[in-house]
Amino acid sequence: MINPAIEQQQHGRLDITFAALADPTRRAILARLADGEATVNELAQPFSMTLQAVSKHLKVLERAGLIARGRDRQLRPSRLQGDALKEAADWLGAYRPFWEDSLDRLDQHLTETQEKKG
Amino acid sequence: MTETMTEEVAEREIVITRIFDTPRERVWLAWTQPEELTRWWGKRGWTAPLETITMDVRPGGVFRLTNVRDEDGAEMPQSGVYREVVEPERLVFAEGADAGCPDAEQTVTVVTFTDLGDGRTEMVLHSRVHTTEANSEQMAGGVASALERLADHLA
Repeated sequence: MINPAIEQQQHGRLDITFAALADPTRRAILARLADGEATVNELAQPFSMTLQAVSKHLKVLERAGLIARGRDRQLRPSRLQGDALKEAADWLGAYRPFWEDSLDRLDQHLTETQEKKG
Repeated sequence: MTETMTEEVAEREIVITRIFDTPRERVWLAWTQPEELTRWWGKRGWTAPLETITMDVRPGGVFRLTNVRDEDGAEMPQSGVYREVVEPERLVFAEGADAGCPDAEQTVTVVTFTDLGDGRTEMVLHSRVHTTEANSEQMAGGVASALERLADHLA
């Protein structure tokens, strides 16, 4: 059985995930975090961004479930969260399969409706 | 910095050719009517329910639908704008173009339908993914594979 609360949570989550991933800076931050957790300071440096700008991006990523942040009030290191990313990757990585599958189904649909008519 | 990162634009392209045992007008309908689209659109295991589909098939017209995963009801909305509509031979649409998000990746898909003269139709789908690459080696292989690697890394 599907837990309705979890289901509710999943609905639209990909939407939020993709909105978060649409920004190249946020993707670069994720790529950096793939090497290990980092503080806002550590993230700001290579991107030559202000701490405020980085914090803003981190909030978006956190809301999308793409990262988690530590409780340490001073440092709050960020680290990647796998699940939302995996779901997004599953979708994106499936770009060619999306069309291959769709067109297979289209072919089948056309054949079926053709047969009915004939 | 954002500027530097958006300068590098990489493109991914796919071309798929299919020959259908069906007249061209019929194939065109399958692409341009919601009642038809709902029968075939989407990856296996996903469906675009009819009630989620709206399509205004004319240049500048918007289409929207929601891909729903059969297994658990997870939703993946999809939308775009038609750029060219030449019935029954050519359909061009851009995805990611109308999301009010100019930095987003944009996918332009050109679908051409050729009447083979014997009741069959050749369809060529040419999709170009304009990926705004982050200035990072992790992203060099394209967003999709980079994300896959990240996800694997965490698995």
